[in-house]
Amino acid sequence: MRKILGHVLWAAVAILAAYALAGIALKRGEPINSIWLVVAAACTYLLGFRFYAKFIAARVMALNNERATPAERLRNGHDFEPTNKWILFGHHFAAIAGPGPLVGPVLAAQFGYLPGTLWIIIGAVLGGCVQDFVILFASMRRDGKSLGKMAREEIGKLGGLIALVTVLLIIIILLAVIALVVVNALKGSPWGTFTIAATMPIAIFMGLYLRYWRPGKVLEVSLIGFGLVLLAILGGEWVAKSPSLAPLFTLSGVALAVSVIVYGFFASALPVWLLLAPRDYLSTFVKLGVVLMLAIGIVLVRPTMNLPAFTRFVDGTGPIFAGTIFPFCFITIACGAISGFHSLISSGTTPKMIAREWHAWPVGYGSMALESFVAIMAMIAACALQPGVYFAVNSPAGVVGATPEAAAATISAWGFPVTPADMETLARDVGEQTLFYRTGGAPSLALGMAHIFASGGGRALLGFWYHFAIMFEALFILTIIDAGTRVGRFMLQDLLGHIHKPLGRTSWIPGVIATSAVIVLAWGYFLYQGVVDPLGGINSLWPLFGIANQLLAAVALCVATTILIKMHRARYMWITCLPLAWLVTVTFTAGYLKIFSPAPRIGFLAQAAQLQSRLDAGTAANIADTQALIFNARLDAAVCAIFLVLVLTILVDSIRVWTGILRGKREARMLEAPFVATRLRAEEI
Amino acid sequence: MSRVRGFWALVLALLRELGDENAYRRHLAAHGRAHSRREWQKFSDQRLLARFVRPRCC
Repeated sequence: MRKILGHVLWAAVAILAAYALAGIALKRGEPINSIWLVVAAACTYLLGFRFYAKFIAARVMALNNERATPAERLRNGHDFEPTNKWILFGHHFAAIAGPGPLVGPVLAAQFGYLPGTLWIIIGAVLGGCVQDFVILFASMRRDGKSLGKMAREEIGKLGGLIALVTVLLIIIILLAVIALVVVNALKGSPWGTFTIAATMPIAIFMGLYLRYWRPGKVLEVSLIGFGLVLLAILGGEWVAKSPSLAPLFTLSGVALAVSVIVYGFFASALPVWLLLAPRDYLSTFVKLGVVLMLAIGIVLVRPTMNLPAFTRFVDGTGPIFAGTIFPFCFITIACGAISGFHSLISSGTTPKMIAREWHAWPVGYGSMALESFVAIMAMIAACALQPGVYFAVNSPAGVVGATPEAAAATISAWGFPVTPADMETLARDVGEQTLFYRTGGAPSLALGMAHIFASGGGRALLGFWYHFAIMFEALFILTIIDAGTRVGRFMLQDLLGHIHKPLGRTSWIPGVIATSAVIVLAWGYFLYQGVVDPLGGINSLWPLFGIANQLLAAVALCVATTILIKMHRARYMWITCLPLAWLVTVTFTAGYLKIFSPAPRIGFLAQAAQLQSRLDAGTAANIADTQALIFNARLDAAVCAIFLVLVLTILVDSIRVWTGILRGKREARMLEAPFVATRLRAEEI
Repeated sequence: MSRVRGFWALVLALLRELGDENAYRRHLAAHGRAHSRREWQKFSDQRLLARFVRPRCC
């Protein structure tokens, strides 16, 4: 009876998923309610989890609860510790959830809600969740080894080195692009700038509190810190209205970029416990809380999707970033669908904490499904805005016109009516001077979130919620910036240590300063380039980041396929090869177009050539600036080419290994830890 | 009621895990030591050193 009920229930979920997906895909003409997206996504994730992931777990990986995991065998109370599966689920989700799934869908909404939504759902179920799950499984069976180590051992030394270099380059581009998101969100905003500036002394206070006054009381100090941050948001409104204080916190893009660069350098060199760790704790709790709040808000408010299913920008002429749906929608949304960065987390802390092998199923596949749902919520928040407002906020002055009147006229002419007066009223409601040209995704996401959160309390609360959302985004982006700079420094020291031994020592102060400076200058350069770019910077940097992130996913899927073949599961290699083939097609097409497209808004080289011709004709407004832009465009092309060559190398190397094994010319040497029967009792987990 | 209590206990345990409080308890139990400022500092330094050499997710 129970079995029949189960079948009926899953059949109902499948019908509901199909009905909701058909609803969002086929409905045209009038705006649809966001609950369609919620139902379509939730039901598809449930089906993917219950059937596809279980099939992979049982038939392909042959998960075995009788086999002791590294958490049990190597238990040390620190890294290796058998952990309750739901606690580990939350832990892993908190580790993989970053700004990517929030920003990417907001930017991709320029095509309309449909392309991005379908990619998020399908990409996650067949690609992202599978990648996270298989890498987690592989690492778990190899004593928690990292992706780089597995690449080196399973594919070859070259694979390991390429994985290391790729990660380092991606970190640099990632830090630049997310710093640009923060800079664009705080540009000309005394309220936001004050709130974020206030989080630094608050974090230092928390660090001292935790270190000296109440050691070990992390939850207590995080609660105090959260209260102080809320006060800082309220104080920000007062600062913004103060004629003497407001100018001090009203900074230009360049001033903010320099502040973030200087901050990044000091934060990466300061003791971790003082600033980085307390803010990391706080941002993790705030992140989980806000995601939960947003989910509840969307279900209760059920906002209407005001953006259409498709906009006119499917033709590649979008103001936020140029390029057609294929391939650009698929690299703009990385983290909500498939993100290479997750493979680093799945081969980091999590495999060392899994108590039973079958726990990898909800932790690996389920956490990514939840992250994908966060991306759907970001898409809803962006599409809940009036289209005119959405494009006015996200379009750079270089595309829509340098004055609010010109921008409003351009956007209205596209069929998305908006007036400078509407934008002024909205800006006043949220306590900003202007909302035009606030590119980067964060301000429009904050607006969408504020509309959802404030719908119960009227427009009076709009300003508070807008700045709460900005604080939430900036808080964990800054944590990623200083942690990422630190990580980049360690990786660089690791590489340079082979050339000059003292450089590899993390305690050698000159080495620490020099390598920190190199990493900060590297991402700082790209950040500065984005800030001064007349097209807003996001146009060039976000696709570069998307390509890099997806290429890292391709590396992870190469490792996963190699492992499946070595496990004698070649007949199931389509599970990883399917997303791999898609990613390679998408990223190489996007990479090729970003380098060689003849359209100057898409191709870096065409952009450089156009600027050069202006320089030659003497029509360039500023010679030095134009020369810098030409250099930047060529540099972006070179970075993109390096990514493609690196991943092509690892792909060819992997195919060589696969064919060798499949033809019987190469030994399929399994590098799994030997089987040891578990002795872990149920009550221990 | 017991289910609600169980759920709350799970949420609290998750927050303690994320805040390293559980790991600290395990550390004290594993080494048979009592809580002190010095002990927390030693644990925290070790833990944070290991945490902040790993890349953060985007």
